[in-house]
Amino acid sequence: MMTTVTHPGTAPGVNPSGEKVLIYHLRDVVKTREAEGSAFRLRVPSLQIALGEKIALIGESGCGKSTLLDMLSMTLKPSEIGSFRFRPEPGADPVDISALWQRRHLNQLGDLRRLRIGYVMQTGGLLPYLTVRENINLSRRLLDMQDDGLVDELANDLGIRRHLDKLPHMLSVGERQRVAIGRALAHRPAIVIADEPTASLDPIAAERIMSLFIELVDELHITVILASHAWRHINRLGLRHLEHHTHREADGSLTETVVSG
Amino acid sequence: MHHRFKDIVWLASRDYRNEWQMSSFFVIALAAVLGPMLILYGLKFGIVGSMLSTLIEDPRNREVRPIGSGRYDSAWIEQLREREEIDFIIPRTRAIAATIDLKSESANRIISVEMIPTGPGDPLLKTRVAPQNHQQIVLSEKAAQKLNVKPGDEINGSLSRRYKGRSERVHLTLQVADIARHASFTRDGAFTDLSLLEAAEDFRDGRAVPVLGWSGTNAETGNRTYPSFRLYTRSINDVAPISDAMGKLGIEVNTRAADIDIVRSMDRNLSLVFWLIALIGLVGFSFSLGASLWANVDRKRKELSVLRLVGFRTGEIIWFPVLQSAFTAILGWLTASLIYLGVSYTINGLFATQTEVSETICRLLPDHFLVALILTLGSAILAASLAGYRAARIEPSEGLREI
Repeated sequence: MMTTVTHPGTAPGVNPSGEKVLIYHLRDVVKTREAEGSAFRLRVPSLQIALGEKIALIGESGCGKSTLLDMLSMTLKPSEIGSFRFRPEPGADPVDISALWQRRHLNQLGDLRRLRIGYVMQTGGLLPYLTVRENINLSRRLLDMQDDGLVDELANDLGIRRHLDKLPHMLSVGERQRVAIGRALAHRPAIVIADEPTASLDPIAAERIMSLFIELVDELHITVILASHAWRHINRLGLRHLEHHTHREADGSLTETVVSG
Repeated sequence: MHHRFKDIVWLASRDYRNEWQMSSFFVIALAAVLGPMLILYGLKFGIVGSMLSTLIEDPRNREVRPIGSGRYDSAWIEQLREREEIDFIIPRTRAIAATIDLKSESANRIISVEMIPTGPGDPLLKTRVAPQNHQQIVLSEKAAQKLNVKPGDEINGSLSRRYKGRSERVHLTLQVADIARHASFTRDGAFTDLSLLEAAEDFRDGRAVPVLGWSGTNAETGNRTYPSFRLYTRSINDVAPISDAMGKLGIEVNTRAADIDIVRSMDRNLSLVFWLIALIGLVGFSFSLGASLWANVDRKRKELSVLRLVGFRTGEIIWFPVLQSAFTAILGWLTASLIYLGVSYTINGLFATQTEVSETICRLLPDHFLVALILTLGSAILAASLAGYRAARIEPSEGLREI
């Protein structure tokens, strides 16, 4: 059914010498948010995500999932950083994200996002004035990538080929979500970050789209971090759960979530 | 950076086109402000412009006429001729001695005409042949009609005097060199060489004029003085300084400075009124455009944050509302120019029968369209800059989820 895209090197996330290549390596990263006497703190004592891994972050809303995703997608500055390294390719030197934040090199972070990260949003986030093809191709266009047939291939795999020249408002919510997945993958990013990508869909469509998404990510050897509160079918997709514990102070003044893995 | 600017232009124009209803409202709103302003300015420029050019073209508005009579010699006149503000100056002889009786073969009447001294470069005789010597004259149109003559015809001129108790009359043959425009001199008149006027004055004073064979007492040896002169400045702007200079010399003069001042102050006041209206219109339009762009940033928050998320930089996002505002400015200006062209064509057609060929009631130069475009673009971009600043402050993470 799907065309296999070959990837140079050996198994994903493993360099020639056999050790794991870490795309994310965080140590003692903290984000604190305070509002009128009550504070929320997300603490990451240690987090290692290998290239090619599929991570699931499952929990109720308000537990800090979004905060962690924002930090991993380099759109939210952590309050404290022990170290935060990002290595998008096996051969590349790790990028010191902590230093980029401290020196306020926001445009460099933007460039990193554009080149290395794909996003699937809750409700598509498609640009209403571009056709489906242009929406999928947007990430490629910004990187000056030549057409190598991937857009058509993705459209084919996602079952939205006949919609390529339509505007998003002519599509159903599920179809739009498929377009969003296509856009997140089209520029072959190192990692795809998806925050509740199927929250707005009915359970059957959600399950179908979710497995399609994971299949594509697998095939393209893209690391994925997925946040969801519906974990029933996530288990079947072979994702690694990221452990997190939330506890509240008795007086309600502090809510702290600790993530590690 | 350069490449992604192209992408922002592409995205902004796609969005603009996709929301064409909204975009056209603003284009029409701008044209409704700018179109009438162009027409208003066109009318001001056309009407006041025609009035000014009439003033400039009519040499009588450049004339500085001395009141009463003085005593001016040739050396003094020559000295004035050197001044660069002065286009033409020639002495006049006494008015009472500056008439001549004319008679032609083709009309059986004798008319008495005023003689006006002239010479090369006389502004009243532009494009006409000037008299080369005392035998050539240029007739006013009225005089030529009464005598029924055309250029090249010969006519008889005669002067009379009472000398030693007897009345005498002398005759001389004159050639009509040309006929002056009616506007140059509306009465019976003849533009003549200064030498003929001097001869007529000498003859009437009882002095001999050997050149013409007229007898009398011998001519005085002293310098001739003239009671007055004809003076034209180079442009209407030179009238005031020259009349001031004359005033300092104790010569009282008459000019049309008052008429010129009236048109000038009308031009100034109308310009002021126009700029007030233009300012109110443009400020009003900028505010409404600015408010809508501001609201647009809220409406498109999600889309803009998606652009931030996919890697557009802060400085690039600012261009999104600014470019769309510039599109409105350019399209609105184009529409307004088309409205103006249609309306001015109609207005000029309506007044065509009442105006001279050179006059246009409603008129704009290419420069005016350019200034209108620059002003419109400027105020549109200013209106968009606040919205652009707001757009740039949108966090990329806002695009990740519903707010």
